[in-house]
Amino acid sequence: MSTFDSKHAADLHRHLHSHLPSDPALRVKALESLAVEKGLIAPETVDAWVEAYSEHIGPMRGAKVVARAWVAPEFKARLLADATEAIKEFGFEGNATGHLHAAENTDDTHNMVVCTLCSCYPFSILGMSPAWYKSAAYRARAVREPRAVLAEFGVDLPEDVAVRVWDSTAELRYLVVPQRPAGTDGWDEERLAGIVTRNSMIGTDRVLKTGAA
Amino acid sequence: MDGIHDLGGKEGHGPVPVTDGDAPFAHDWEQRMWGLAREGICPSMTIDWFRHGLELMVPGDYLTFSYFQKWATNYLMLMIDAGQITLEELERGYVLDPADPAKAKTADQIVDQVRRACVDFSVPEDAPAAFAPGDTVRTLRQITHNHTRLPAYARDCEGEVIAHHGCHLFPDEGAHNRHVGQHLYTVSFTARELWGQDANPRDSVTLELWESYLVPA
Repeated sequence: MSTFDSKHAADLHRHLHSHLPSDPALRVKALESLAVEKGLIAPETVDAWVEAYSEHIGPMRGAKVVARAWVAPEFKARLLADATEAIKEFGFEGNATGHLHAAENTDDTHNMVVCTLCSCYPFSILGMSPAWYKSAAYRARAVREPRAVLAEFGVDLPEDVAVRVWDSTAELRYLVVPQRPAGTDGWDEERLAGIVTRNSMIGTDRVLKTGAA
Repeated sequence: MDGIHDLGGKEGHGPVPVTDGDAPFAHDWEQRMWGLAREGICPSMTIDWFRHGLELMVPGDYLTFSYFQKWATNYLMLMIDAGQITLEELERGYVLDPADPAKAKTADQIVDQVRRACVDFSVPEDAPAAFAPGDTVRTLRQITHNHTRLPAYARDCEGEVIAHHGCHLFPDEGAHNRHVGQHLYTVSFTARELWGQDANPRDSVTLELWESYLVPA
């Protein structure tokens, strides 16, 4: 049973810092072998998690949701009203999406998501988070200078487009709904989903490209 | 707590590592760590005790360790703290009296497990809400020494309540295994309120904040 005692936790951290090799590969190996010997997990289950998130749960899920919002106004209305319920129509609910909110980009507003206190992310709909999302630089700067951060992602945002940064430090998670690009009239959902990038659903991409689709 | 984890608005971290960070995992041990954590090898912890554990890391380690390196260190701490493993076992590298092996799961079982892991953090309201959308509120300047979710950059600032979510589990208590609810609001702050007059007047930052972090403006 966890002690929930802050001082005890801090003391343990200092002990590990002083007594344990810092090599992360060794630390994880030690953790896994002890957890396996304690009967807490089978090594194959770790592989199964990686396979589940690489093959089945990933940003393609969010892209399907966005594409449907583009073609079906009544679904879009449901998504913007209650994204938690709307994604259940796809069976995409799960890790960290118990309170999901969809934030729609418009001609005059751009949405961008960060977690400055840890790295909260809507896993069941966007999969594993990219390394940059968890970096100190992104967490520190997204709230203070979002336009400079966007420029580093190649997004040149006009001054008159407002940036709304959602710092998701509670249990609400955000899915940015990018704008449907011009030149996609008549495209079906599957083709549209193919042009929705993961970064556009976090808000570090804005104008989606149609060329390669 | 005023910890090293509270990074919002801090300067000097350089460019966002976009180019070297697109793949979720750079090393095999990172995905091993991720899978161990997802499976919940420390069942007695709460999500906020996990977060608080990261905040309590040696500050220099927090800033220099990679993301999953922090997780590995935190999980060792959490499991020793919970009595699931001992420091002696960690130093020895193996267990003297192994338990029966856990049953292996398949990816399909995991996909199903993820779907069933949709957690609702809302709790019944036991008091009327102090604020409503449209209200102007001010955040506290002082925070507790323990786990809390009011970032430093947004303290003692004025913002507008733009949504009320009923009561959600209060992380300050959840970090210590006390499951109590408190009204939760989305509060929008202008970039100028947070960062000064040089900020674009159109820009804003929103935060979900619990009622006890707020006072009427």
